[in-house]
Amino acid sequence: MNPRPWWAKLGHLSLLILTTVYCLFPIYFMLVQSLKTPEEDVFGNPFIVMNPTLENFEELFERKSEVRGFVGDALRRSYPFLDWLVNTLFIFAGSVAATLGASVAAAYALGRLRPPGFRWWRRAIFAAYVVPQTILFIPLFQVVNGLGLDDNLLALLLIYPSMALPFCVWMLSAYFQHLPREIEEAALIEGASRATAFFRIILPMSRPVLVAAGIFTLGTVASDFMIASVFLLTPHNQTITAGLGTFDVALDELAAVAGVNLMALPVVTISAVFARGYVRGLTAAMVEGA
Amino acid sequence: MSLRGRARRREIQLAYLLLSPALLLLLTVLAYPVGWELWTSLTDLSPLSDGPQAFVGFENYRRFLGEAEFWRAAAVTVVYAAVTSVAKLALGLGFALLLARPFRGRALVFLAIFLPWAYPAGVSVIGWYWTLNPPTRTAYAPFMGHLKFVVDGAFGGGAWAFTSVILFNIWRGSSFIAVLLLAGINAIPPELFECALLESKSAWRRFHLVTVPLLKPFLALGVFLSLTSAFADLANVWMLTAGRIVFPVIGTHAYWLATKAGQFGPASALSLTLVPFLLGVLFLLFRLFDPPEREAA
Repeated sequence: MNPRPWWAKLGHLSLLILTTVYCLFPIYFMLVQSLKTPEEDVFGNPFIVMNPTLENFEELFERKSEVRGFVGDALRRSYPFLDWLVNTLFIFAGSVAATLGASVAAAYALGRLRPPGFRWWRRAIFAAYVVPQTILFIPLFQVVNGLGLDDNLLALLLIYPSMALPFCVWMLSAYFQHLPREIEEAALIEGASRATAFFRIILPMSRPVLVAAGIFTLGTVASDFMIASVFLLTPHNQTITAGLGTFDVALDELAAVAGVNLMALPVVTISAVFARGYVRGLTAAMVEGA
Repeated sequence: MSLRGRARRREIQLAYLLLSPALLLLLTVLAYPVGWELWTSLTDLSPLSDGPQAFVGFENYRRFLGEAEFWRAAAVTVVYAAVTSVAKLALGLGFALLLARPFRGRALVFLAIFLPWAYPAGVSVIGWYWTLNPPTRTAYAPFMGHLKFVVDGAFGGGAWAFTSVILFNIWRGSSFIAVLLLAGINAIPPELFECALLESKSAWRRFHLVTVPLLKPFLALGVFLSLTSAFADLANVWMLTAGRIVFPVIGTHAYWLATKAGQFGPASALSLTLVPFLLGVLFLLFRLFDPPEREAA
């Protein structure tokens, strides 16, 4: 192929730069804000930080002395941020594990065992996305109360998997369905049980797709704001998302942005590490399945 | 019964056993609430009235048809969904094509494109809100205030807040669709593109005669997921406008009816009006993604 002319290269490069700036600017802006001192927040240049400080992050972890009265509470609020962090990690890890477990089981049933009408099962599960979430939390509240889970983290562990499950089942079952039958049959003939064949052969083969399903679940769970703020009420039980929602705009702006960054850090790191695997898994599900 | 038949029956039993956790989960978290919503939409249930709920039939649905507010919310929803979906698809497709061919630093650009979706939206929406509507003392507040003034002046009060919802939705959604389409492009055998290169010199012809048809199922999946998130979008609109809804979408209007006005019946009916549209889109998606001729396989 003949080399591309200089203007094509320049155009390509500027597109790349434009894209990167568009994608990263809001994230950069939030990072810069969180590193600012209150003085710089007021008088400094909004786009850069001259004297980066971690005091906003420290403030989140500080336990302040009791001050009585509404104004005092608002001015010197202390946040159980450590609790929020632990709750968040627990919920995210638990939701991903529960979603993967339930969807791998369901996808294996639909893709490999193929009960009668498996296509319709799969479509029915995917159709769960048609349900608008708008006021679903009112009846959900009844369900959660009925199970005795009100103001309990476990309520989220029940609700979150249902938001990612349909897509994961769809993707995993498409992948399982198009793995050649011989892969399992060889092992079955050797005398291995179905479970052994699954855990020793099928599961290791599908690692990329599992990664993709996991990252999708993490992204979905981390994007929720509604459910967390509706179902978790006492500060001690909240996740970071629910907790930050209760911050006061005018007073806690910098601390809140710091909180946003603290929450984003682990999620973004995990996602970035598995980003390539995510694409590879989606591709695998599409090549084998679809 | 033959040995094969019995083995098959055991397989089917195992299949149902394995399906049960997922189905149980969806039944508790979705089926019951949806059933409740369907029933409530036919009644006048309200936490504000003491009397027993009365069955009112389709009264709640009928009332909307005559309400200007409903049509306004519906129009805003359609515009919101259409604008964001088109923008997300266009940007996502652009990003995916940009990443399709290798170049130096591709991994980094890919990561940049992936991040808006990976960045937890539950909190980034808070960051966006405070960036676009900063407290007055911050250094960038005058600039944002000016922008808000211009936009609101041109399109009416609340337009700036609504613009910020659209921008946020596009920013995050285009990232997801880009990655989805990139995975789709990777799934297409490269020989097809090479053949196309021999057949036609025009990049545009290659794009819309080869790339787009091959990507159609993935585009459809992207559109569906984008539409469901936009139609049902409530949290983001609510958050980014701090509950001061000037441009109601169906979702926020239903939420408002339920929580502020205490009218559970109409609110249920309202949020269910979205379902037929989404079902229609889903039906089209299945035709593209899960074509019937594969049933035989």
